[in-house]
Amino acid sequence: MLDTFEILTTSGVVLWSRRYASVGPHIINSLIRDVFIEERVQPQTEDSGSKPTYRKEGYTLKWTTVKDLGLIFVAVYQSLVHMTWVDKLLDNIRALFVGLYGEQLENKKSSVVNCNKFAPYFERQIQELEGQSDGGSSATGAKLTPPSSTDNESADESVPKINPLQRQQKPLYDTSADSTPVPTPDTSRPTTPAQSHLLTGKAGPGAKLSRRGKKKAAALNSAPVSSGDEASVKRKGKASTKKNRVWGDFGAEEEDPSMVLDYSQSDLRDDAPEAEALEAIDPESWGSRTGKGQFVLKDLDLEMDQIIAEQNAKSQSGTPAASGGGLVGSSLGAIGGLFRNVVGGKTLTDEDLAKPLKGMEEHLLKKNVAREAAVRLCESVKRDLVGLKTSSFTTVESTIRTSMEKALTKILTPTSSLDLLREITTVNTSNRPYVLSIVGVNGVGKSTNLSKIAFFLLQNHHRVLIAAADTFRSGAVEQLRVHVRNLQELSKREGAGHVDLFEKGYGKDAANIAADAVAHAAKEGFNVVLIDTAGRRHNDQRLMSSLEKFAKLAKPDKILMVGEALVGSDSVAQARNFNQSFGPGRGLDGFVISKCDTVGDMVGTLVSMVHATGIPVVFLGVGQHYADLRGLNVGSVCRLLMS
Amino acid sequence: MAWYDEDSWATAAFAPRGSTIAITFLLAVLLPVLLHQFLYRKATPTTLPSFLLIGPSGSGKTAFLTLTERKAVAQTHTSTAPLGVEVLLPEDYMPQSSHYRSPGDPAYERSRRFLLLDTPGHGKLRHFATKQLANPANVRGIIFVLDAASVAEETGLNETAEYLHDVLLALQKRYTEATTSKGPKEIPVLIAANKMDLFTALPPHLVTQQLEKAISDVRKSRAKGLKDSGRTLGGEDEDLDEEREWLGEGGEGSFEFVQMEEVGTTVTVHGGNVIGGESADVKSWYEWIAAQL
Repeated sequence: MLDTFEILTTSGVVLWSRRYASVGPHIINSLIRDVFIEERVQPQTEDSGSKPTYRKEGYTLKWTTVKDLGLIFVAVYQSLVHMTWVDKLLDNIRALFVGLYGEQLENKKSSVVNCNKFAPYFERQIQELEGQSDGGSSATGAKLTPPSSTDNESADESVPKINPLQRQQKPLYDTSADSTPVPTPDTSRPTTPAQSHLLTGKAGPGAKLSRRGKKKAAALNSAPVSSGDEASVKRKGKASTKKNRVWGDFGAEEEDPSMVLDYSQSDLRDDAPEAEALEAIDPESWGSRTGKGQFVLKDLDLEMDQIIAEQNAKSQSGTPAASGGGLVGSSLGAIGGLFRNVVGGKTLTDEDLAKPLKGMEEHLLKKNVAREAAVRLCESVKRDLVGLKTSSFTTVESTIRTSMEKALTKILTPTSSLDLLREITTVNTSNRPYVLSIVGVNGVGKSTNLSKIAFFLLQNHHRVLIAAADTFRSGAVEQLRVHVRNLQELSKREGAGHVDLFEKGYGKDAANIAADAVAHAAKEGFNVVLIDTAGRRHNDQRLMSSLEKFAKLAKPDKILMVGEALVGSDSVAQARNFNQSFGPGRGLDGFVISKCDTVGDMVGTLVSMVHATGIPVVFLGVGQHYADLRGLNVGSVCRLLMS
Repeated sequence: MAWYDEDSWATAAFAPRGSTIAITFLLAVLLPVLLHQFLYRKATPTTLPSFLLIGPSGSGKTAFLTLTERKAVAQTHTSTAPLGVEVLLPEDYMPQSSHYRSPGDPAYERSRRFLLLDTPGHGKLRHFATKQLANPANVRGIIFVLDAASVAEETGLNETAEYLHDVLLALQKRYTEATTSKGPKEIPVLIAANKMDLFTALPPHLVTQQLEKAISDVRKSRAKGLKDSGRTLGGEDEDLDEEREWLGEGGEGSFEFVQMEEVGTTVTVHGGNVIGGESADVKSWYEWIAAQL
C-alpha cells in the first residue's frame, strides 16, 4: 500500500499530503538533498517509461515534477510492496493538480494554495488505479462506492483542516492583490480558453450546467460553515466550484452566455431549503445506478478524466501547433520566435535549447571538461530550463549562460566544511595524530603536493611526520628526504613547527609502513602524519587492490587524490576508480588539482572530477614553490569556465 | 528641376502643412505620455520593506515563513528554491513608524505589510542568499534562524558559526566598501534561536556566547588558512584577495557581536520556537520586526 503522498513546492512548503502510515519527514528530506541538490543519485530519464525511484530505509520513493510551477509530487511506499500503478498515479495527480490549481500557483508572492478539496480527487484516483491493478472482477467493485459514505468521509477530513484559517486570512490577501498589482508572468492566459472549450463542449445538457451554476452561487455566498448532512451536498458542490475558479469566469461566459442566465436562475432556485436541494438533484446527472442498485460516482470521474485529458492534450499540442499552420503561419511563427528571442518572454522547448546547448557543450569541451561531464551539465541545464519562459530582454543564449553558471556553482560548492586545520584540532583532542594520505596516478605531483601541505601545516605550528610509503619507485624516498630537509631548514628559519621523515627503505609493504608510521607518530607526539603512496594506474586492478589494505591498516582521516589539471577526459575514470578502490564504506575525501598554473583558463578537469564522484576539490596547486597551494574559489573558476 | 523634390516625404515633413503640424503636435504630446506609461509599468509597483531569512538547512526558516503567512505552521521539507511572500505583521504588534497613527488609518495597514524572503540553507544553495546580501536593495533586516539544539553540539555549532560569519562579513564588506561618506543604510541582524521547546536547546544568552566563541575560531582558522585561488587563476581580479577583510576590529582578539555595531549592523539574539510546545512562541521576533518597520 501507499504510505504517503505529498505535493510540495521547491521552496519546501507542503501543499497537500495524504498519509496512510507515518513516514518520518527525513525520508523526503533526504530525497531532496540527495537527488535535487547534491545530485548524488542520478535518476534515469523519464523516457524510459517509468518514473525515477529512490530508496531509503526500506521505503521506495517515486516522484515527478512540474518545473515552471516549482512543484514536486512524491509517493512513498514500502520497498517490499510492488506497486505498478504509482507511475500512473503520479501522472494523473500531476495533471489534476496543475489543472485545478495552476492559476493559484502562478501567484508568486504567496505560499498558500487553497487545495483542501483535493482529497476526493485523490481518493478516486487511488480507488480507480487500485481497482485496475486488482483485475477485472474487482475493478467494478472498487469503483462502486456508495456516494454518501465517501462524500461524508472526505468532506469531514478535508474541510476542517485548513479552512478556518483560510477564511480568516482571505480578506487580507484580497486587499493586497487589489492595492498592489503584482506583475506575474501570465502563462496560463492563453491556455484557459482552450480548457473551457473542452470543458463546456463535453459538459452535459441543461441539468448539469444549472447544477454547476448553483454551485457557483453557493461558493459566492462565501460558503457558510456547514455540518452534518449538508456536508455531502457541499462537497459535491465544491468539487465543481473548484472547476469554476480555475477556468475563470471569462472563459465560461465567452463560451456560453446562457451560463450566466442559468446561474442567476439557479441562484433563485437555490434559495429553497438545503434539504430540498439535496432531493432535487437528478441522480442521472451525477451518477448512474448499476444493476445491483449501487451508484457509480460519475461526475468526479468524468471531471477528472477531462482535466487529465486537457493537460495531456496541452502538453502534446506544444509541438504540432508550432509546425502546423502552413507556410505563412510558420514563417510568421519564425519571425515571432526571433523577435521573442530578442525581447524575451519565449517559452523554451527542447528544440529551442538544442542548438545553443550544443554550442555550450562545445565551449565546455574546449575548456577541457570531459565529455561526460559536459553532457551531464547540459542535461541538467536543459532540465532546469525546458518549459520556462525567458524573462524580458534576455535571449535564449544568455538564459542558458546564467543557468549554466548556476549549475557549475552548484556542482563545485562543497557540501561540508573543508577546514583542514580545525579537523586536525578536533582529532588531536582525542589524543591521536591526524592521518592524511595522498594517492594518485604516476607523475601527477603527489610528493610535491604532499610537501606543500606539510609546509602549510608547519606554518601553523604543527608537528608533522611524513611517511614514505612509496616503496616501489626508485628515488621516491630520496625525493621525500630532500623535501623534508628543505622544510626543516625553512621551519627552523621561521621558527615554525617540526617535521620529520619516517622511512623503511624499498620493497616493503606500503600498508604496514603506513601503520607503523601512525604508531610511531602517536608515540613521539606528532599531530599530523602525511603518507605518500606509490603512483598507480587507475585501470590496473593489481595495483589498485593494494589500496584497500592500505585504507584498512593506516586508517587515514582523510584521503586526498591528486589529479593533474592537464588531463582531459580520463579524469572522470581516474576519479571514479580511485574512489572505489578503498573498499566498501571508504572513499576519497577530496581532490588536489595540481599544475593549475599550466592550463590557463582550461580548468575543466576540476569540474570533471567533481562531477564523477561528487567529492569536493580541497586544494589547487598553482606553482613550483612550497607556498603555491591554494583553496578553491568557486566564483573565479566559474568565471574562467564561462569566459 | 529644383534642388528639392516636391513629392518626397522629406519635403512634406518640413513644409508648413496642416497634416505635418498635426502629426508633429500629436507626436510631441503623446510621446512623453506613452513613455511615461511604459516606464511606469516597467518599474516595480511598490517597494515593500523586506526581511531576509537566512540560516543553515533545517533550522526552521520556511516554517517561520508559513507561520507568519497563515498563522499556523505548514509541514515543510528542505527548500531548493527561494521564496518571497508578502505578509502582514500580526495585529498585536505595532510598527515602529506608525506609533502615532490611529488604528483606522489606511497607512497603518500599509505599514504593517512587508516581504519575507526565504532562502535555501543547504550548503550548495547558499548563493541565493549571498546574491541577496550583495545587493540588499530594500532589505530592512536579516533574520538568521538557527537551531538552538544543534548549536549545543560541535558540528552544528561550527556549521552555523561559519554561515553566520560569512553573512556578517558580507555586511561588513558592504559597509567598508561603500563609496559615499554617509555609509550605506544600516541592516540589523536578528539571530533567531529556534526550537527553544526542545529539552537540549541552549538558552539565548548561551547561544550568544557559543556563537561568539565559534566565530572567533572560524576567524582564526580562516586567518591561518590558505589563500584563495581567485587571483592566481583569474588574473583580472587582483584586489579580490589582496586585502582580505577580517570580521570585527581587524580580526584581533575574540569576536563579540557588539563589534558589528561599528559597521552599521546591530546583532540581537532572541529565542523562540516555531513548532512544538503548547504553541508557537515567536513574540520577540515579531517585536524585533515591528521595531524595524
